[in-house]
Amino acid sequence: MSIDRLSTRLRYGLRRSRVLQVVLLAALWWGADALVRRYALPLPGGVLGMLLLLALLASGQVSGHSLRRGAGWLLAEMLLFFVPAVMALLDHGALLRSEGLQLVAVIVFGTVIVMTGTALTVEACCRWSERRAG
Amino acid sequence: MPAEIALLFWPLVTIALYALSRVLYRHYPSAWTSPLLVTPLALIGLAIALHAGYRDYMRGSHWLLMMLGPATVAFALPIWDQRALIRRHWAALLIGVIAGSALAIASSWALASALHLDASLRASLVPRSVTTPFAVVVASDIGGVPELTAVFVMITGILGASLGSWLARLLPLRSSLARGALFGMGAHGAGVARAREVGEEEGSVAGLVMILAGVFNVLVAPLLAMWLR
Repeated sequence: MSIDRLSTRLRYGLRRSRVLQVVLLAALWWGADALVRRYALPLPGGVLGMLLLLALLASGQVSGHSLRRGAGWLLAEMLLFFVPAVMALLDHGALLRSEGLQLVAVIVFGTVIVMTGTALTVEACCRWSERRAG
Repeated sequence: MPAEIALLFWPLVTIALYALSRVLYRHYPSAWTSPLLVTPLALIGLAIALHAGYRDYMRGSHWLLMMLGPATVAFALPIWDQRALIRRHWAALLIGVIAGSALAIASSWALASALHLDASLRASLVPRSVTTPFAVVVASDIGGVPELTAVFVMITGILGASLGSWLARLLPLRSSLARGALFGMGAHGAGVARAREVGEEEGSVAGLVMILAGVFNVLVAPLLAMWLR
């Protein structure tokens, strides 16, 4: 009986504790990353961890409630985690001064192409399936 | 600055400036006060003033970057929450992600070549339409510089959110699915935030498309690497 009660309390505690959930997600990533290294898998640890977690959610082994707060926090604060990568600008100042205009041009025109193409493709798919249904 | 102090100084300053920039954004929300822009700019200013380079900065801060791994795992939750949407529109979502990714890769490649950018810059530009944790993986696979890719991803997000609002009004789009895909594929995180302002379904679709595009790009990156090199 004590084990039962312990597991209920643990589950209850897990649903409330954001820190615990973040630690669990980090552990899942760490385990997946170790697997990727060990077997030289062609995908990053984060993606394997995500697929494993999706499988656990789909099989009902893990409930979304027990990780939602931690996941929400990690995703909401993701900006903070890639600030360090942007700091590479410190070492590439000369490059951005000399090629900055071309780089911005590639990004602006590329983004217009991607957005227009994606939106029109999805719109065409929607209209096609509407016509077929209607 | 003594090395031991720098080890603690930079991550703490990063977190503090990030927290401050979020407060600033809450009071004055605009594209120019985005924490994504303000935090790195303030940090870079400080680093230049203190004569610190990227290595000095990273020595104590690389663990922040490593948190992108657990954040990638966390993407499973929004995917799971949107399973009804996926079941209903899986074909349109899949076609949109494949078309958008192909256009992103091809347009970066072609435009960078046309403007005579060198090979490593070109490879760093290719994954710029994908959200950062996935983009840096693709960049290192295809011979780009992951740090530069992170910078290009940031610029794409900031410019893309504004371009997207303009394009969403300009293009003849009736479905919220198409508007959401436009923001999620074109401007990842910043686009998802903008799409949420347009509508609830637009926001969900944009978030989903952003993650699916990331996964798709990472999975095709090894093939892309063989083909582009």
